[in-house]
Amino acid sequence: MSNYTKDYSMPELMAVTVAREIRDGELAFIGVGMPLMAATVAKFTHAPNFNMMVEYGAVGPAPLRLQMCVNCAVNNERAYFAGSQREVMSAQQSGFVDIACISGAQIDKYGNLNSTCIGDYHHPKVRLAGSGGANDLASSASRTVIMMRQDGRNFVNQVDYLTSPGHLGGPGAREKAGLVGGGPAAVVTTMGVYRFDNETREMFLEKIHPGVDLEKLKAAVQWDLAISPNLTETELPTEEQVMVMRTLDPLAVYLGTGRQTLSGDFEAFMKMFENSYQPMVTLMRSKGMM
Amino acid sequence: MRYEPIPVQEGRAKPPAYKIMTAKEAITKFIEEDCYMGMTVSAAPASLIWEMVRQRDRIKTLDLVITSQIGMSSVLIGSGLVRKIEMGYNWGGIEGEDKVFRRAVEKGIPRPLEVEDYSNFGAAMRWLAASMNLDSIGTKSQLGSDIIKYNPRIKVINDPYTGRPVSMVPASRPDVAVIHAARADEIGNVQCLGLYGNTDTLARAAKHVIVSVEEIITSAEIRRMPNLTTIPYYYVDAIVHAPFGAHWRESTYYYHHDLPYGLDVYRQFATQEGYEAWADKYVHGTKDWDEYCQLVGYDRLNRLRLSENKYQKFGEVR
Repeated sequence: MSNYTKDYSMPELMAVTVAREIRDGELAFIGVGMPLMAATVAKFTHAPNFNMMVEYGAVGPAPLRLQMCVNCAVNNERAYFAGSQREVMSAQQSGFVDIACISGAQIDKYGNLNSTCIGDYHHPKVRLAGSGGANDLASSASRTVIMMRQDGRNFVNQVDYLTSPGHLGGPGAREKAGLVGGGPAAVVTTMGVYRFDNETREMFLEKIHPGVDLEKLKAAVQWDLAISPNLTETELPTEEQVMVMRTLDPLAVYLGTGRQTLSGDFEAFMKMFENSYQPMVTLMRSKGMM
Repeated sequence: MRYEPIPVQEGRAKPPAYKIMTAKEAITKFIEEDCYMGMTVSAAPASLIWEMVRQRDRIKTLDLVITSQIGMSSVLIGSGLVRKIEMGYNWGGIEGEDKVFRRAVEKGIPRPLEVEDYSNFGAAMRWLAASMNLDSIGTKSQLGSDIIKYNPRIKVINDPYTGRPVSMVPASRPDVAVIHAARADEIGNVQCLGLYGNTDTLARAAKHVIVSVEEIITSAEIRRMPNLTTIPYYYVDAIVHAPFGAHWRESTYYYHHDLPYGLDVYRQFATQEGYEAWADKYVHGTKDWDEYCQLVGYDRLNRLRLSENKYQKFGEVR
């Protein structure tokens, strides 16, 4: 068992917290970014028999370099399966996906997410990416984990556009709508960890991150937030968990400022890839994965 | 009775004939004004998209149908060609916020853009329906969401057998599909290597299909591993030989995503002037894909190829 460390960043704490939601042996639908780092931590630490599915048609990749997107060539590297999006999406709709990670620009107390627009749909103040696979994951994965920044404006009474269903209007609403998946199980933010009450399907605060002030957290939620009587502090990352993330993503492309570093810098980018091989082989061998 | 035999019903199969042409020839022949054009994201048909932008004065207006897109759709939107987009997702992925898309939807720059939203699976099922010659198909995605509320073309019905709710999406039959793939023979048998998203169904849904490929191979090589054939010849109208034809995106086993270039493109796309400057240099400033590759630099492209091959090479375990 590796020791806890205080040498971590907020994105790293979030990724590790999501990683702990993944159980060994599960199949997860994972995008890039922070969910990829969470999945990698899980795979190399407590869940070696966990595998990921990638939206554009890959299952169980074991790459020695960092994925760049959900249709990236890296998702094919040493994978169990590569093919169509229909395969992974159909498997999900049929109940083969245990857990999926999604995000959004706004969330309400039932975990409904908006990633489509801010303001009126027909005349948006800000047009966003759209659903992508988020609605599909939110609809059909057995459970979802939501990761998002919490900045005082995005935990709202009502989302401007409901892109990805959480528990909709409360108990029984998902079943009535015909949704096959179980909906959100947890929300991991920059301030804490939330779960959903089995009776009311409402979000409640379960854990607060070290150093976060509870009053400030409550002020960053528009509704009257329920707080667990057993509120605890979020478990710290271990040295090993942090090591895994920094081995795969040494420039912090996903969990820091790596993208700014790489913009226009081809040599730095190529070096990141070329230098990834040996440390990743060493890590894989130390875990008996190669 | 007049003893006249029943006339032969014409099928849709394209012949097993020589189909190789240049991007310029293929786009000129198949992409017309008001064309309803489909494209996928795995892999990016960049060489074909660039050619459409070069011919924007002739083409004038396109309606796009995609599932997800990163970059290619916005190169078209920035050029002023796109009137409508039917989509699951249009954004920058790792390259970040897509200002071209935002400007078009929020401000109508360079022209107003109508958006029809689906989920990715909902959007993908539309090509699956068309590939089976169905007029609609059902999915359990989108239920209970505002995607249904704001898109009247999605109908929630109760399944006629079980009574359970299902969201029906209309078949999408593009006039033309533009696709990038690994390899093909000269009569149009296309093999994708690695993950290919919705390439298979898009090709089957469209009236005309243009495929750019990294390599032209012999039909004998196709016949050696026929289960790799993602698109048989009878769907395909044109094969365009375009090595590095997905740059700045990736092509599995051939070369890696050129992220620094992509990040730089998105930085320039922050303003319409920036978009125009990029397009003037890299698209209008080059007459074909080979000139574009020379401008980017074959040394750079070969570095991306070597880097990809260090980690994976087709048929070999690394």
